Amino acid sequence: MRAAAGPARPRRRRVEPVLLRLLAAGGLALLVPQVAQAQLAHEVKGAYLFKFLSYVEWPDDVLGGPHAPLVIGVLGDEEVRGALQEIVQGRQAQGRPVEVRRLKSGDAGDGLHMIFAGRDSVQELGRYAGRRGLLLVGDSDDGLARGAMINLVLAENRVRFEVAPEPAERAGLHISSRMLALAQVVRPGAS
Amino acid sequence: MRLPAFLRRSVSRKVTALVLTTTLAALFVTAFALVTYTVRDYRRTKVTDMRTQAEILGRASAPALAFDDRKEAARDLAMLEARPDIGRAALYAPDGALFAVWARDTDTASMPSRVPEPGLRIDGDRLDLVYPLVDDGQRLGTVVLQARYGLRDRLLAYVVILAAVMAMALLAALLLSAWLQRAVTTPIQGVADAARSVVARRDFSVRAGRTTEDEIGMLADAMNHMLADLEREIRERRDAEEALRIVDRRKDEFLATLAHELRNPLAPIRNALYLMQAPGSDARIAAEARAIIDRQVRQMVRLVDDLLEVSRITTGNLALRRERVDVRAVASAAIEAVEPLLRDRGHRFTVDLPPAGRTIDADPTRLAQVFLNLLNNAAKFTPSGGRIDFSVEVKDGEMIGRVRDDGIGIAADMLDPIFEMFTQADRTLERTTSGLGVGLSLSRRLIELHGGRLEAHSDGPGKGSEFIVRIPAMPFPAPRTSAWAQEALGRSTTFRERDPAHFHASGPEAKSRVLVVDDNRDFADTLARMLRSLGHEVRVEYDGLAGLAASRTFRPDIAFLDIGMPGLNGYDLARRLRAFPSTSGIVLIAVTGWGKSDDRERSRQAGFDEHVVKPLEIERLQSILGRIG
Repeated sequence: MRAAAGPARPRRRRVEPVLLRLLAAGGLALLVPQVAQAQLAHEVKGAYLFKFLSYVEWPDDVLGGPHAPLVIGVLGDEEVRGALQEIVQGRQAQGRPVEVRRLKSGDAGDGLHMIFAGRDSVQELGRYAGRRGLLLVGDSDDGLARGAMINLVLAENRVRFEVAPEPAERAGLHISSRMLALAQVVRPGAS
Repeated sequence: MRLPAFLRRSVSRKVTALVLTTTLAALFVTAFALVTYTVRDYRRTKVTDMRTQAEILGRASAPALAFDDRKEAARDLAMLEARPDIGRAALYAPDGALFAVWARDTDTASMPSRVPEPGLRIDGDRLDLVYPLVDDGQRLGTVVLQARYGLRDRLLAYVVILAAVMAMALLAALLLSAWLQRAVTTPIQGVADAARSVVARRDFSVRAGRTTEDEIGMLADAMNHMLADLEREIRERRDAEEALRIVDRRKDEFLATLAHELRNPLAPIRNALYLMQAPGSDARIAAEARAIIDRQVRQMVRLVDDLLEVSRITTGNLALRRERVDVRAVASAAIEAVEPLLRDRGHRFTVDLPPAGRTIDADPTRLAQVFLNLLNNAAKFTPSGGRIDFSVEVKDGEMIGRVRDDGIGIAADMLDPIFEMFTQADRTLERTTSGLGVGLSLSRRLIELHGGRLEAHSDGPGKGSEFIVRIPAMPFPAPRTSAWAQEALGRSTTFRERDPAHFHASGPEAKSRVLVVDDNRDFADTLARMLRSLGHEVRVEYDGLAGLAASRTFRPDIAFLDIGMPGLNGYDLARRLRAFPSTSGIVLIAVTGWGKSDDRERSRQAGFDEHVVKPLEIERLQSILGRIG
């Protein structure tokens, strides 16, 4: 920006670092294998899960004390759970620490604020439907229909999401309109 | 400070320049302060505004950034359409990659692909803000705004406004100063105008108007005072010059008269001498001739005496010798002296005097001189066979003397001037009377010295005239006498008493040895002859050194020494005679033409016993020798 607007001499001085950076980026791209790309998708999903925490309001009674953590339970998708585990390390959402737990099929899910069900475990979300203060996030094409309030989808090679505000409201949750504005699909609800 | 020429000429312009310069300076300082404040304030406001904008934009775009929604982010950026000052904007992801970009002119290419260093840069009219978005300690991304700084436009507007304000302020100052400076410049103008007209027309009667109570008013007062002083002094000087001119003219006339009067007696004297020398001259003719010469010489002596009196009056050296005098005696003396003239001209003369014993305090000689002068004038200025009345009375503590005639009279405009020195009523060449024109002036001064007055009355030319002398008869304080008073009586001065024995040895009848030293041979010889005719033994020398030598051998009792002599003057000769034991006892008499008081003083200091003014008549010579005896 500055180089474009500035006089000739400063621009010439900046040529070297820009070239170096281009070379470094190019080299990195060549080295990244397919595995790395899949890993990237898990990390994006993990990041999304973490960021959802900032756009959802929980009822006060489920949050506990002022420093009580927000707890995310993960069903099935171990890669996403691993990525999420790394992301939340030392970070806060809504001024609270974040905890990640692995859920097994049939776990009661007490003390959780969010449950993420992997592609293969989405059918389990139905068990938790209607639980006060529990945000249900799915990761399959029919996630919303199976009870998810937020559902991750892939569109144009990007991770996007769908939102169903109605079931969330019923669970006492409020999803920010700023998030709704970004959602692929906003459905009244599938119940 | 040197002002331009067109300002130096006028106070009014200076005041205007002063007011305008001051106003302008104040305006410039104000404008500078305003502009400086504006620049700072504008920058602060602008930067705050841009940061706020970036923060708002960042917060709005945070979800889009969080969930990687570039379209939404682009829509967020497009809201900047409402901010005309922002030209381009960009959002960068937390990892520094360009996320979304917006440009008013659709030129989006100029945005760098990587996020620039955070901070604010102002470059000319361009403002770049790189604003990192942080929430909950996490970097959400970076907002970059490119905006027009706009200070230049703001300043331009400001300068235009300031220029307008300055113009109006200057105009107001100009009008105000034009109104106010009248209070200052109008009085100055008045003073300056007065000064200019004084210089231009030399009219010192001009006065500056005093219109204010301040320093200018004082200046006007001071100038008016100076002008008044100047005017008075110029008038006095002019009067004095006029008076001097008149006196000078009178003196010229007087000198002409004097020459004429001194020359008049010479013709008869020469004629008489011729008659005496002519063959066939007998004793009768010689006696007549001698009488003529004697008369004429006396006339000349009287003229010269008058001159001396004038000199004394002019130098203020005339003093009175007052004593208790019998009025009748004084008047009688004057009548006695004038009687021959009255008889000659055939006037009828009446006299009315008080009885003997009426006395006043006066100088008898001077009083007699005044009466004589008035009677002489009456006799002279009355045609033959006229009538002259002389009366003196003492009453109411005053002596009143009147001399009335039925002669030629005096014109009204000459009643005062006749008392002026050297003035004669008749200036024609054919006039029948003679004189120097000092008599009346002298008389008036003498009477004034007595504390009295001398007045002239006349009904006009041909109607006669009357002169009245008034002198207070009151007793006067102790009479003041001086050498001059004595001189007025005796015309010679005795400086010191001689040893009586010395003089008694050579009484009036005794034969003395007399030395005469004078470079005027005629005078020396005639004096010697006179002395020999008196029976003295005489030796004559014609210069000072010869006189000194003779004094040693001749051993005189008395020496008559001239003052002005070649070789050794009279003063030095006297000193040497006094210094030498064998000649120190000689009676020394200065015989000179100089009769002023300081001449006498010098004579006294040189050791002379007497100071005698030439001519030396035989009677005076006898009286001096008698006195010494």
